[in-house]
Amino acid sequence: MSSPTAALEHLERVVGPAHLITATGGAATLAEGVSEYRVDGQMPLAVAHPGTQEEVAALLRVAREHGLSVLPRGAGRHMHFGSVPGPIGLLLSLARLNQVVEYDANDLTITVQAGMTLGELARITGANRQVLPLDPPGGEAATIGGVAAANLAGPLRMRYGAPRDLALGLRVALSSGEVIRTGARTVKNVAGYDLTKLFVGSYGSLGAILEVTLRLIPAPEERALFVASLAPARAREVAAALVGGRLDIATCDLLNHESAKGMRLFLPVTLRPENVVLCVGVMGASEAVARQERELKALLPEGVARAEVQDLGKRVRDVAYPRSREGEEAKRRDELSVLRLSVPLTAVVDLLATISAEPGWKAAAWAGDGTVYAVGPAEVRVLMRLRGAAEKAGGYAVLEYGAPELKRSFPVWGESVANLDLMRALRRSLDPSETMGCGRLV
Amino acid sequence: MLDRRFLRSLTKVVGRPNVLAEPADIVLYSYDSSSATGRPDVVVFPASTEEVSRVVALCAQHRVPFIARGAGTNLSGGSIAVRGGVIVELSRLNKVLELDLANQRAVVQPAVVNLELQNLLAPHGFQFCPDPASQKASTIGGNVAENAGGPHCLKYGVTTNHVIGLTVVMPSGEVRRFGSGVLDTPGYDLVGLFVGSEGTLGIATEMVLKLRPLPEAAQVVLALFDTLEAAGEAVSQIIAAGIVATALEIMDRNTIRAVEVSFPTGLPMDVEAMLLIEIDGLAEAIDRQAARCAEICRTLHARSVEVGKTQEERTKLWLARRSAFGAHARISPAMLVNDATVPRTRLPEVLRGIQEAERKHRVEIGKVFHAGDGNLHSNILYDRNDPEAFHRAEEASREIFELAARVGGTITGEHGVGVEKTKHMHLLYSPQDLHAMWQVKRVFDPLNLANPGKVLPEEAEASQ
Repeated sequence: MSSPTAALEHLERVVGPAHLITATGGAATLAEGVSEYRVDGQMPLAVAHPGTQEEVAALLRVAREHGLSVLPRGAGRHMHFGSVPGPIGLLLSLARLNQVVEYDANDLTITVQAGMTLGELARITGANRQVLPLDPPGGEAATIGGVAAANLAGPLRMRYGAPRDLALGLRVALSSGEVIRTGARTVKNVAGYDLTKLFVGSYGSLGAILEVTLRLIPAPEERALFVASLAPARAREVAAALVGGRLDIATCDLLNHESAKGMRLFLPVTLRPENVVLCVGVMGASEAVARQERELKALLPEGVARAEVQDLGKRVRDVAYPRSREGEEAKRRDELSVLRLSVPLTAVVDLLATISAEPGWKAAAWAGDGTVYAVGPAEVRVLMRLRGAAEKAGGYAVLEYGAPELKRSFPVWGESVANLDLMRALRRSLDPSETMGCGRLV
Repeated sequence: MLDRRFLRSLTKVVGRPNVLAEPADIVLYSYDSSSATGRPDVVVFPASTEEVSRVVALCAQHRVPFIARGAGTNLSGGSIAVRGGVIVELSRLNKVLELDLANQRAVVQPAVVNLELQNLLAPHGFQFCPDPASQKASTIGGNVAENAGGPHCLKYGVTTNHVIGLTVVMPSGEVRRFGSGVLDTPGYDLVGLFVGSEGTLGIATEMVLKLRPLPEAAQVVLALFDTLEAAGEAVSQIIAAGIVATALEIMDRNTIRAVEVSFPTGLPMDVEAMLLIEIDGLAEAIDRQAARCAEICRTLHARSVEVGKTQEERTKLWLARRSAFGAHARISPAMLVNDATVPRTRLPEVLRGIQEAERKHRVEIGKVFHAGDGNLHSNILYDRNDPEAFHRAEEASREIFELAARVGGTITGEHGVGVEKTKHMHLLYSPQDLHAMWQVKRVFDPLNLANPGKVLPEEAEASQ
């Protein structure tokens, strides 16, 4: 490795002093006040905000030449994902690459740069009454590049899939500085290997995603959210009937009492500690929504209410991404952990009960795809118990949020990850210098 | 010629009745549904993952290519041997291992036929969404290898969107599990990488499929037009109207004639285009949408518009479309199947381009389009005994590929690259893009024994 100063000078020549932040100078310093760039408590040697794809490629070449490891960053919403990173040489911010590359509204596809936020994307497509049907926890401030890198989805996944399903193609900068294209701009393409799938969900360990082509859907005419409070056995029965039936619902979420009581003001039902709250989202033609409402009422004689609060769905998702004052407090004290469990559909309600048995643990589940979030105090013992329950059901548990010490004692991805040798070989083949990702996944 | 010891070892693995090496047998495995041919040295019929693994390990040990084969319905030469070697015929791996409807998943072996699975699921109210036109014959293993589509993938996505786990025999013979029985398996999306790799990264011997409840109701609108452009315009307007159809299919006059000559369905022979629209979902949701589609077609001067609501009516309206490929094959056994796919907004211009290619190269092209997702099947008919005709067909095909690439499309939407389209890959991908794919290939298959000569052009890589 050459001297850090030489590397920093070299990086600065690429983006200009206004867009490089280092411990020693530049636009701002990494000393006090720029703590948002910490990843698991660690300050990178430099943070660069390139303004063009050519600058990204040049930065990567410089990083490789000087032996700096690189971690891509979008809006910084999900930098807490993954194992505690090794030394971070360059935090590569893609926030300035936030433009529409091509939007062919009549084709229902859009190509945007990685740094565009989901909120901005929704605004742009909304002007044409179109939406990207993706609602990950962490919300509108997250960037499309970040959400793709983590393959992060929300409750709509049961109907529309995850980023792996919605991304048609990518432009990716490899650590060599070469920029490659994967996939196509058409909704169907089988020419060559589907490298899009390889990069989506690779947490920046194979390259930096620069552009994403996405499929859109026409904005639904009407949306509604229906809420009921049910005994767990009933919740299991009703959720199974809804996600396996023909009512064509869009989302099916379950909350345990600990989560529900935090949003009691927004829930149009009376809460009971022993109950589970069911939130069913529907979207589509107004006649269909009216019919779905009728059928839900018939299915739930114990009572179901249409939610008046527009953003209840967001509050439900935010169980998985705590931003409340209390949540932020717990994060500061390193006392918070968020576990994402993926299990077969029939295991969801039992898992919810297992989580609820732990004092103070919140749980939210997307019952249509088997995702369960458990949010509670950072206790390895409990986390191990919950992971054990998921694995026993044939699933997995990934620690999405936790202080570095917690991540060191509770392996983020699991005690062992299948095919790690193959993944490492793939990683070496695309990133021979092992520059990318800083060891958060592979 | 294969080493005798190698043949003996293969026989030991699968048993003598499950090895074919006589010239007459070999010839039968020299074809698939494309125009490509190639002779394997031997065909084996393993009965389990373990046997596949041992066969492939022997191939690795003796440096012999191996080619997985299902029903042989491949349209790009993906299932033929271009460098000899072993055809691993998977027809004995034909069991549905698990139907877990409560968890909306099924575990199947590769030779389960797509339609058989659908028939098993339908009485329970479920479906496996991919429905390639070949579904009566094609196998799930083939669907996975090719990332098959079908008319309904417009709404529900292609095969890769419905596979969550795979058991894979790697080109070394090693057996691995990719993905699992749940949606999120930690690590890279190896399932997504493997699906559509056309047998060049290994052989999948078990697959975990995601199932989906069948829609409650469906309606089919069938409109006949006097110009192909009007049908294309109707598709654009339907999409722009915010209607998510389940299928939007166009057939041109050549195809209608071929169908009516071979399997008469009662379509008039003098129309230029047929547009078939299917909408599914809640009964309440589809009435207004189907009516709106019919209205769009009438505004564009459709000669007739018919709406089918019952299962019988729908099946009748689908009949001509479902017969299209067979009809072409019947009137002209030799055809090049072009599967270019373009952004839907570029359809009118591409349709014109295809008609120009038809005139310029004096070929007959049967056009059967999954217009809703821009997937254009141009079946270019030629006389197998006339090398000059084949050459003209190839030229027309190349021009359509170039046009598709120029407007931001791709050279294959669902049939695969196989052996026939490797030479066109550079139209879509830079040498760097292709090099990245080669890097992946080398990780899985360093000896290049898994279906060699397919998908990736070798010349470009050699000069890297």
